[in-house]
Amino acid sequence: MRLCAERVRFSYPRGADVVSDVSLAVGSGEMLAVAGPNGSGKSTLLGLLSGVSTPSAGQVLLEGRDVRTIDRREMARSIAVVPQDAAMTFPFTVAETVLMGRAPHRGRFGLETPRDVAVAERAMERTGVSEFAGRPVTELSGGERQRVVIARALAQEPRILLLDEPTTHLDLRHATAVLDLLAELNVTDGVAIVAVLHDLTSAAMHFGRIAFLRAGQLVAEGSPEEIVQESMIRRVFDVDVRVRMDAGVLVVHPMPKRPN
Amino acid sequence: MRGQAKKRAGWGRATLCALGIAIIPTAACAAADAALPARIVSLAPSVTETLFAMGAGARVVGISDFCDYPPAVVDLPRIGSFVSPSVEAVLALEPDVVIGNQSPGNLRAVETLRRAGVRVVIVRPTRLADVPTTTRQIAAAAGTPEAGERLVARMDREMAAVRARLADVPRRRVLMVVGRTPLVAVGPGSFLGDLVAEARADNVVSSGGAWPRLSVEFVIAADPEVIIDSGMGTEEGASGDFWDRLDSVAAVRAGRVHPFLSYRVLRQGPRLPAAFADLARVIHPERWP
Amino acid sequence: MAVGYLTWRRLFGVIGALLVILLITLVAAAAVGPVRIDLWRALDPTVGGSPDALILFRARIPRVLLAAVVGGALATAGTALQALLRNPLADPHLVGISGGAALAGVCALAFAPPVFGRSIIVPAAAFLGALVSIWLVVRLALVGGRIESYALLLIGVIYNAFTGALLMFINTIVDFFQAHGILFWLMGSVANQDYDLIAALAIYTLAGLGLLLLRARDLDCLSLGDARAAELGVAVERARWQIFLAAALLVGAVVSVSGMIGFVGLVVPHVMRLLVGADHRLLLPVSYLAGAIFLVCADTAARTVLGATEIPVGVVTALAGAPVFAYLLRRDRRSLGTQ
Repeated sequence: MRLCAERVRFSYPRGADVVSDVSLAVGSGEMLAVAGPNGSGKSTLLGLLSGVSTPSAGQVLLEGRDVRTIDRREMARSIAVVPQDAAMTFPFTVAETVLMGRAPHRGRFGLETPRDVAVAERAMERTGVSEFAGRPVTELSGGERQRVVIARALAQEPRILLLDEPTTHLDLRHATAVLDLLAELNVTDGVAIVAVLHDLTSAAMHFGRIAFLRAGQLVAEGSPEEIVQESMIRRVFDVDVRVRMDAGVLVVHPMPKRPN
Repeated sequence: MRGQAKKRAGWGRATLCALGIAIIPTAACAAADAALPARIVSLAPSVTETLFAMGAGARVVGISDFCDYPPAVVDLPRIGSFVSPSVEAVLALEPDVVIGNQSPGNLRAVETLRRAGVRVVIVRPTRLADVPTTTRQIAAAAGTPEAGERLVARMDREMAAVRARLADVPRRRVLMVVGRTPLVAVGPGSFLGDLVAEARADNVVSSGGAWPRLSVEFVIAADPEVIIDSGMGTEEGASGDFWDRLDSVAAVRAGRVHPFLSYRVLRQGPRLPAAFADLARVIHPERWP
Repeated sequence: MAVGYLTWRRLFGVIGALLVILLITLVAAAAVGPVRIDLWRALDPTVGGSPDALILFRARIPRVLLAAVVGGALATAGTALQALLRNPLADPHLVGISGGAALAGVCALAFAPPVFGRSIIVPAAAFLGALVSIWLVVRLALVGGRIESYALLLIGVIYNAFTGALLMFINTIVDFFQAHGILFWLMGSVANQDYDLIAALAIYTLAGLGLLLLRARDLDCLSLGDARAAELGVAVERARWQIFLAAALLVGAVVSVSGMIGFVGLVVPHVMRLLVGADHRLLLPVSYLAGAIFLVCADTAARTVLGATEIPVGVVTALAGAPVFAYLLRRDRRSLGTQ
């Protein structure tokens, strides 16, 4: 299942372009990381890819079809989104929240089927939130909620998973677990992954391709070896780093300014 | 054969006529007896007073919360306020007739009572000229039209007596207020306004509907000779502070600001002539030496 | 909550229990009143036209049934609007429809002559006012073809302020007795309506509940945010329109018949959400039933506490609702939300 953005532009009325002339594609079984400084349009790009936002110019195609012509339920059966923030106003339980991921597969009437429940339970297991199943999400910590949201996306049984900074609130153990989970989804289930990440080392480790955005434009795209280089990082992020190969793993070291 | 049928039909009609002639007066008498309701419920104080003044007091079985005259009513069962009478309480009293004033607040209750099969008579005593009519309507509803006529006649006589006292008295400029905060005055299109005019007084308020709200500036500009502060029956007497401030006004300077217990006057019932006399005396005290 | 999600058993169990409670409440409320009646005598078919029967069937039962229908409708509308506005403290009167309905009703009350002998003109005018208000509010709150939540709230507040000011103006130009009557109508009453109107309103409100139930899953998703709902496959604009219209029509109809009864649409959904959870497939019918029970009890208190003099039911709902609300707020502070 191929999702591609073709020369998409997005701007608010009477505002500057948030995303301009970006063309990006992800095919079946691919893992693409998107990185860039704050405000470079990464979240907006994800919104365009999911079809929730409409581009001001250009188009987004899913399997060759313009996503504007695809019914939202059908989209949601193919593409799941893990947003950046998971603010919850109402006290749904974790199980109820994850089961909402089954909504695109369900009709108007009736309650969830045993299969729906099984899918949701598996999703909760994989994200390690099964123990919270009966608790209201409003009682969980930020990190726990984020994992619940990931579980909800998994419950959608998507072909493509879009994640916006999925490890931001997670501690080391859970961040590692999520990245491992994404890799597993990709390899075992063939799910294509597009993730906005800040940690370039993790991106290089797990993702087959990386794209850099700066000021709404696609600056570079390619394999980690091609992209994660000191000069490129300086150009995109305006910061000096040291990039080293460490036992076959590409590691990015930030270089703090030393006081005299 | 046809001729015989016609004859029989003719006899049948005649018999019917004869019976009818006998039946109708009997029915009328029966109807007349049935027309004297034994149990009356009153929804408004003015109605209660009128009923008692016509001698129907013994048949009144329920009154509104605000009915307080004559003293005999103190022990009667209450059925709620005239704005929201309790349908249950009225039904529990099994009335033959319910009599009330027209008010948008009791419209639904009245409909419910009528749907329950209760006879409800609503009168509209909006202006002074309506009082004889509504008195007669209440009397008819209570089954005592003659008593109603007598009451109307009595009230006419008493009103005429007061008017006679006021013959040729100079018309005074009067302001009558029924509330101070806000300052609500009696306007020309109201029942009280009619009374003021009858008392040979010129209401300084000439527009603004029945109960206009006034600004203090208006009062100063209008400069009434007499101010009647009737305070809705709850504020007793004219507070010195309020009116003393307006010391440019003729009425204040001449000490012609008078309190007036208002509830008697607000009722379009049998005490109206007495209240009218009180009002006239306040405006033209020289005619009551 | 052991299972953590909604099962058929829980759905029918909770609704069933509430239905039983509602029935008991209805019977108890019909048996109680400022006047003591003999229930057996009232129900005895051989004794026709006894005052007990008249009171029961003409005064009490219509009232109790209307309270149930009005309470249910207000609570259901409140539930839907709280999800739509993503605000568990939203009240159905917030969006301005009630203000417009009240204004139209008061105009009819103050200026229309009571012809035809029927007081249908006030509810009819009020409902018309509600429809006009819905049209106005939506037009004003439309942002690029979408009903935006913040715009809706803002417009609602302004609209209420405007209609409230007009109401006060009318109050100054009518006479004292009219003003008193207007105040009473505004404060809300479920008394003195006929069975036809009550039956029609019951069908109407249950239809409204049904329409909202069709959108129950969408309401769940919408309460997460428009973007989240779209990501989960909800046709967001269409859903928001339909839900808003259904809720607004419920509120408009109810205010037209019974005036402004506050607190039911705010407290009942909130409390029931704390008790049975936020899944709208359960919460919507539960709110209807709980709202019905609540208003029947409030009305019963309103008409019995002071004997023949009635307290307006809106006063009772506020007096009762506020402390209950405050208590539950303190007890379940964490469950309120993460904002």
